[in-house]
Amino acid sequence: MKSASIHAGILCIALGTALACAEVAQHGDTPPAPASTAVVVVEQARLIVVPAPVARKPEPPLNVAELKTRLRETRAIGTFAKLALRNQMDDLVQEFRSRHLGGQSNSVVNLRQRYDLLLLKVLVLIQDGDPPLARTIADSREAIWSILADPEQFKSVS
Amino acid sequence: MIPSARAAALVFTFASLGAGPSAAAADPALLKDLGAVIVLLGLPCDRLVSAARQADGSHIAACRNGKRYRIFINAEGRVVALRQ
Repeated sequence: MKSASIHAGILCIALGTALACAEVAQHGDTPPAPASTAVVVVEQARLIVVPAPVARKPEPPLNVAELKTRLRETRAIGTFAKLALRNQMDDLVQEFRSRHLGGQSNSVVNLRQRYDLLLLKVLVLIQDGDPPLARTIADSREAIWSILADPEQFKSVS
Repeated sequence: MIPSARAAALVFTFASLGAGPSAAAADPALLKDLGAVIVLLGLPCDRLVSAARQADGSHIAACRNGKRYRIFINAEGRVVALRQ
């Protein structure tokens, strides 16, 4: 029946599988379609084939200055959010500074929860608008923490 | 164009330009930005539904749950959200 064949053809295009299209072409009730029609079906099926994902080369971990720069440059968040984020990052860095300068470097482990929470907020804000940066920041989580927690490495943080 | 129609078009144009708060309320970028600020500051807001710029440069952001915040940058350069 002609209408059944048309429905099968639509299904074939919707599913986008060459195998389903070949089935329709071979077992349809109607006489074989002209060669040009068959080519169109195959071409449409090809259009929605998704290329295999290319292996992502991970970026090197960010340091604190690079993190600030990347967040300043991203378009994933607006001006107010960037400023609020900078305020909170500066507050946290100041907290680390006062502990390192006060000879309380052992107590910086208590700042880990605050650090994790801030990083989590950053990721929530940028993960949709700038997924590569979100991945890089997530991958840099431990590297940035080690810079902040270590009194010697912290000296490089402005 | 006949004079009355031209006058009506001008009135409509100026009325549209003067509709500051409603234009701000429809700006998705501003809503997203102020929504992000509310999230960063840890304030309760299920979803931001409108934002209107005030004459003093601050913004009034309204959440779906009825909470409203005045968001502005204070003299120290900090973003502040005050519950209204």
